[in-house]
Formats: sequence, C-alpha cells, structure tokens
Amino acid sequence: MASKANRDNLQEVEDSTDWLNTPLAPLAAVESALRCQVCTEFYTTPMITSCSHTFCSLCIRRCLSIDGKCPGCRAPDQELKLRSNWPLEEAVDAFKKARSGLLEHARKPVIIGRSSPKRKLDCVQENEADDGPRKRTRSSSKRTATASQQTVVVDSEQEDEDYIPNDGLVACPICNGRMTEMAIDRHIDQCNGIPPATSDSRSKPRASATFSTSSKTFSKPERLPHLSYSMFKDNNLRKKLSELGISANGPRQLLEKRHLEWVSIWNANCDSKNPRTKFELKQELDKWERTQGSAWVASNSHKPGSQLLDKEFDGLAWSSAHDDSFKELIAKARRKPPTGSIAPPESQSPRNAVSDDAIVEATPPRTTDYQMGGYSAPTTTLSSTSAEQLSGDLVAGLKNHDLPSRGPATADSIANMGDVAIRKSNMASARPLQP
Amino acid sequence: MAFASKRLAKELHKIHGSLPPGIELVQAEGFDEWLLDIKVLDANPLYMNQTYRLKFKFSSSYPIVFLIEPPEVTFLNLPDRPIPMHPHIYSNGIICLDLLGQQGWSPVQNVESICMSLQSMLTGNTKNERPEGDEGFVKHNRKRPRDIDFYYHDNTV
Repeated sequence: MASKANRDNLQEVEDSTDWLNTPLAPLAAVESALRCQVCTEFYTTPMITSCSHTFCSLCIRRCLSIDGKCPGCRAPDQELKLRSNWPLEEAVDAFKKARSGLLEHARKPVIIGRSSPKRKLDCVQENEADDGPRKRTRSSSKRTATASQQTVVVDSEQEDEDYIPNDGLVACPICNGRMTEMAIDRHIDQCNGIPPATSDSRSKPRASATFSTSSKTFSKPERLPHLSYSMFKDNNLRKKLSELGISANGPRQLLEKRHLEWVSIWNANCDSKNPRTKFELKQELDKWERTQGSAWVASNSHKPGSQLLDKEFDGLAWSSAHDDSFKELIAKARRKPPTGSIAPPESQSPRNAVSDDAIVEATPPRTTDYQMGGYSAPTTTLSSTSAEQLSGDLVAGLKNHDLPSRGPATADSIANMGDVAIRKSNMASARPLQP
Repeated sequence: MAFASKRLAKELHKIHGSLPPGIELVQAEGFDEWLLDIKVLDANPLYMNQTYRLKFKFSSSYPIVFLIEPPEVTFLNLPDRPIPMHPHIYSNGIICLDLLGQQGWSPVQNVESICMSLQSMLTGNTKNERPEGDEGFVKHNRKRPRDIDFYYHDNTV
C-alpha cells in the first residue's frame, strides 16, 4: 500500500473517482467523459479528430507528431484536420466551476459517518474560507437563511441563464439583451447578436463573450508548420530555432525534439480560446526541457553512435544476448570439416541443394559438414537432409537473436552463414518466435 | 509533477478507489513498479480458482512514458501465483500482446484497461498450451520484453 506521504499526495489529485462513495456517484461517469484520455485532465482546448475522437489540443498534437495516429483508434490523422470542439469546452468549463461546490455538497452527509476527522475539519474550514456567493452548500444556505434579504442576493448572483430580473424590461430573443418593450421591435430588426451595452454588468450574456474571442482571432498568431528535419543542416536548424525565439543549444536530436515540442505548444495555443503570451509558452517549453528534454538527453548520451540506432535500442542487452550465439557460431566455424567430402563450389550451387529436395545424396548427411566461410561450403555433400538440419541449426541460432530485424550484428552473422542458410532460415525464422 | 508521474498518481488514486471485479491492487509504492492480481471470472476450466500476479514496470528514464511508451507488463511466478497457460504467454511470464508493444500502444490505455484486456485474453482462450518455441525462448531470452520483436499474427484474441 502507498506510504502516508504518497497518500497525502494522492488526496490532492482531483479525479473522477472523487464522486464514488457519495450520493452523486453517477457523476463519476460524467466527469470522466469530460477528461482527456491522454493526460486524464479536464480537456484543455479540446480538438476533434477526423475519426471523431476528442483530446486536448496539446495532447493530440504531441501524439500526432510522434506517430501520426489517433490514440483512440489508431487511425491515421493529421494535425491540419483537427477542429475545435467548442461545445465540449463550454461543458468542461461549466462543470469545472460547479465541481468543488457540488463535491462539497455531495460529501456532506457521508463525511459524518465515514470520513476521517481530518477531512471533516478540512471541509469545515473550506466552508468558512470560501463562503462566496457561488457556493450553495447546505451549510451556507442555512447560515444565510436568517438574513432573508441576503439569500435573495445570493440567488441573483448565480450564473443562471434562466434568471429573469424583475426590472420591467424584456429580453431580446436573439442577443438576450434587456430593453423596454417599446425598443425591442426596432432592436430585433437590426440585432446582430450583441446586446446593447447596459449599466447592469450581470446581463452580459455568452454571446458577447464569443464575440470578443472571435475578434481576438484576428490578432491570433499564425500556426507553425512542421519541418522535415532531414532537409535541414545543423546550422540552418539552429538558425530556425533562434528565429522562433527558442534556445538553439544542445545536440542535434534535442534541437529536433525541442522544435517539435515548441510547434505543439505553439499550435495548441493558437487553438485556445484564451491564448497565452509567448513568455508563458516559453516557460512551458522550459518545463518540458527540464523534465523530458534533459532526461531524454541523459538517457541517450551514454550510448555512442546512438544516433544510428533506434532510440529504444538497448545496446548492452543486445551484446549480452548475442554473446552466446556468437561464441557458438565461432566454435562451429572452427570445427574442421572432414576431408575428402569437399567438392568445388561451382559444381552445384548451395541454393539448389536447398530448394531442390530431389537431389541425390552423395554421402550420408552430416550436420557439421559445412564451413562457416559460406561460399566455399561443401556443396555436393550438402544433401537436402543436411540442409534441413543446417537451417534448423540456424533457426536455433536465430532464436537466440529473437528476430534478426533490428541490429546490425545479426546482419553480419547472417552474411557469414552463407546463402544457403539465409534463404532457408529466412523462411523458417518467420515462425518460431511468433506466438 | 511531471506529466507521467501526475498521470500515474491519478491512476493510482483511481485504483485505490475502485477496480473492476477480478482485479486487485497488491502493491504500488511510488511510480516505478506496481503489482496487481487478476482473476478470470467466468468458468473457464483453464483458469478456475486461480489468481495471477501481474507486474507493471514504468520506466523512469523516459518521463514521456505513457505518451509513447507502454509500461512493461509481465506475469510473476510465485508459489501461489502460477503463470497462466495461454498460447501467447511464455512460461517466464512474458506476454505477447500487441497493445503492450511499441506499435500497438496508445496513450489512452491505462493500468486498468491493460488488466481488463489480459483478463479477457484469458477468458477467451481454450487452448491449454504455451507459445510455439516457448522452451527455447525462455532459455535464451535475456532481453527486456519491450525489445523483443513480436510478430502479431493472431487477430482472434
């Protein structure tokens, strides 16, 4: 079980399971539907993919820049095809606002029976601390119940769209702006969705908010294109990074990673309803650099020549895994072939010996009858049976290698084995490791 | 908190809270290695009354774990926790399942979903056998499971 410190840490993590063990347990499903499956946070600037999955803008951009596939269904997709999912964002924002109050409300009756005294204390403190008008917990409404006038104020401050103030005015059906009945007809004719400015700050409906963001889009920065890094020489790439205003230090691969991350951060910010400043974005990149970038460098720098290999390649394990099989192969090669059974290689090609099972056996098959030199192998003695055995040996060897698809080492060892082996073993090796 | 550990913290929180039937948390100290027990719930005679121990290993050197890299998941062999018999599970506990490989992995997977996938993989199995070449593989493999190039050919699982 988790240590105490660990558990305290976990208490701070907001999660959909917070709703379980409360009377509002079904809200757990609501909340998990409002969370991104990649980062498990509430959606930040949700974007919808061509396959109709939704993720945070930054999450999906990172994923697509890594493998170009939707994390939900593995369908190929492109960043260009992402579209904003505004209604979901509104739903998330609304839920986030309601969450703490709701949760507090939901936990109340349960806490008395089950929860630890510490939690109880916390909740009481919370209640007293933020006794703001938005919180409508039982306790706060009880407390305000004595002052009935205050309760009215609490209600009118709610962000309740259905709320109709008793001010003798009527609301425009288009923009929700309030005006006198006399003015409304003329207003409707020319209503553009923006309510006329009033002194009442509360009657600022959502329409104005969306308008202000749409006007912001004009000043929004351009999205950055992805680069095909192979087209850039080191210096050009460094220049490109400095042009973008981000650090151009470090090894080549880090530069590419950094640029990729910056493009993701930048473009995600372009999607956002409330874009952050470049300074804030740079701070985010710094954070990435400290946590992931540096760790990445640390994990790669100790491997010389790692730029040639898959970044996941485990070099040490590779050499230790193949140590045995190399020794085995060397030992086999050193065993002297019996004299007299060697025929000139041009008499019959080893390839035929393998492919043609009808070959007449000149001598009894001997498994050790071949040389590792490959091309000067004793071909006539290599009957179909011994060829089978030979390839069987090789298959066993290849098993040690698992599949020879990755490293340079197996390629070499195969070359040593000669043509015969490769042909047959390639066919054979396709099997043993496939479960 | 870095992205990965934050995500793991959430998963841990969730796992402490609730797990689907047949899955139990055994140990989760920190964010390196977790142990979970799984059971097959239906009456599959191969796995009746058995509990299997799963080890999840999260790589620490790659904090981007979960975004691009699956955790390492293997069955543990303990006195009361055998390795389940399955044509895709080697007798040393290594599991051949595409979603645990680099290619099949997707960041939407999580510890819970992996456990459930394995549960259903066992539930659907009727063959009381090990993968082809099990003996040789178990004897010779010294690689980390993630470095093994499995070839996923069986789409029936």
